[in-house]
Amino acid sequence: MNATANTVPNFASDQEVRWCPGCGDFAILAQMKKVLPTLGVKPENTVVVSGIGCSSRFPYYLETYGMHGIHGRAPAIATGLKRTRPDLQVWVVTGDGDALSIGCTHLLHALRRNVDIKILLFNNRIYGLTKGQFSPTSLPGLVTSSTPMGTAHEPLHPLSIALASNATFVARSVDTNAKHLGEVLRRAAAHRGSAFVEIYQNCHIFNDGAFDFAKNPAIRDDHIVAIAHGEPLVFGKNRDKGIRLDVAGPEVVTLGGEYNEPDLLVHDEKADTNTIAQMIAGMRHPLMPEAIGVLRDVDRPTHNDLMRDKTPDPKSRETAVNRLLHGGETWTVA
Amino acid sequence: MTYVVTENCIKCKHTDCVSVCPVDCFYEGENMLVINPEECIDCGVCEPECPVEAIKPDSEPDIETWLALNTELAGIWPVITEQKEPPTDAAAWKDAENKLTLLSREPAKV
Repeated sequence: MNATANTVPNFASDQEVRWCPGCGDFAILAQMKKVLPTLGVKPENTVVVSGIGCSSRFPYYLETYGMHGIHGRAPAIATGLKRTRPDLQVWVVTGDGDALSIGCTHLLHALRRNVDIKILLFNNRIYGLTKGQFSPTSLPGLVTSSTPMGTAHEPLHPLSIALASNATFVARSVDTNAKHLGEVLRRAAAHRGSAFVEIYQNCHIFNDGAFDFAKNPAIRDDHIVAIAHGEPLVFGKNRDKGIRLDVAGPEVVTLGGEYNEPDLLVHDEKADTNTIAQMIAGMRHPLMPEAIGVLRDVDRPTHNDLMRDKTPDPKSRETAVNRLLHGGETWTVA
Repeated sequence: MTYVVTENCIKCKHTDCVSVCPVDCFYEGENMLVINPEECIDCGVCEPECPVEAIKPDSEPDIETWLALNTELAGIWPVITEQKEPPTDAAAWKDAENKLTLLSREPAKV
């Protein structure tokens, strides 16, 4: 480990990175290698926990502590770690299948408990590691090896789920949007409590172009809106469109005619309720532009804060256990 | 780590690599392309695309000169994001040796 006070720690491991050429995971790894050394946390105090999937190879490629966990259970492993070692900075790297199919409830409960962990969900809308079956975020009609007639069902929407779980930090970015992703990762790291980041990640092999609307420079400005706290929701190649909150919900308006910037929804990531954030999360391509940036960033006691108050000190614990074992609700089996 | 454009590209300048790069990190000079090592994500998708095998990982031996050249010229030349026709005489230069002396440091005309 190279982490003395006078040198910038190197978070790159010596392992050969094995993803398919062109994979969006490379772009996310590149950003993490740039962001981690700027956080002031030493590599030996950083832990990356993953589940199963292409994204879950992440811990091998960072010179931190790490654990390639069991499928879907990275949030549970990370919860235990953060509970016993609150001094460590704990990241979870997961994918759409790992987090939303196999381990969906673990994700929900980590978020509602506000465990102080940073969860990065690489969403490529496909099972890549097992060679291209539909995932819980695949869009209806997607033809895959396990859905030759196209997928039948509606997808799950990660941001909506995170907000419904009362997550205190919810954000979205795009793998190859380096500057934006870097800033979102920095914000997630700075948040005290659960930070949930959905990253649109292109699977070059099994679901190429799934996020073309958000990545293709020729069209993306008309299909994504980069939100910022205190700023109106303006978008479009010519910055001539915006999101206005109508009684029926958010609507796209053209600026310069009937509506101008003062008429637009102003983003408030610290709002008392997550109602508006849910509306923004509900803006989905192709009907609406999709939001990237921090949807919500609020303070709430963390899991460790809350459990500290609920944990008896060691002296009284023994008495409590004795009382439980020898109390009135016990009996002897003859 | 990064990938680096090397000598074979000079005066060939096929741009197949540009069409596959997910982060648009190729920069175009008058008769060569370079990669910006700061922006390259090491994904390796460009390496097999090059018809003249000019793209190599920076773990190759004796690549330091080319890494320095890529770093320097990426700061001067304009980004290239779309594939274009190679020079008409590209094929004639394919196996030529010692092309470094022919490198033009001028940016591409865009």
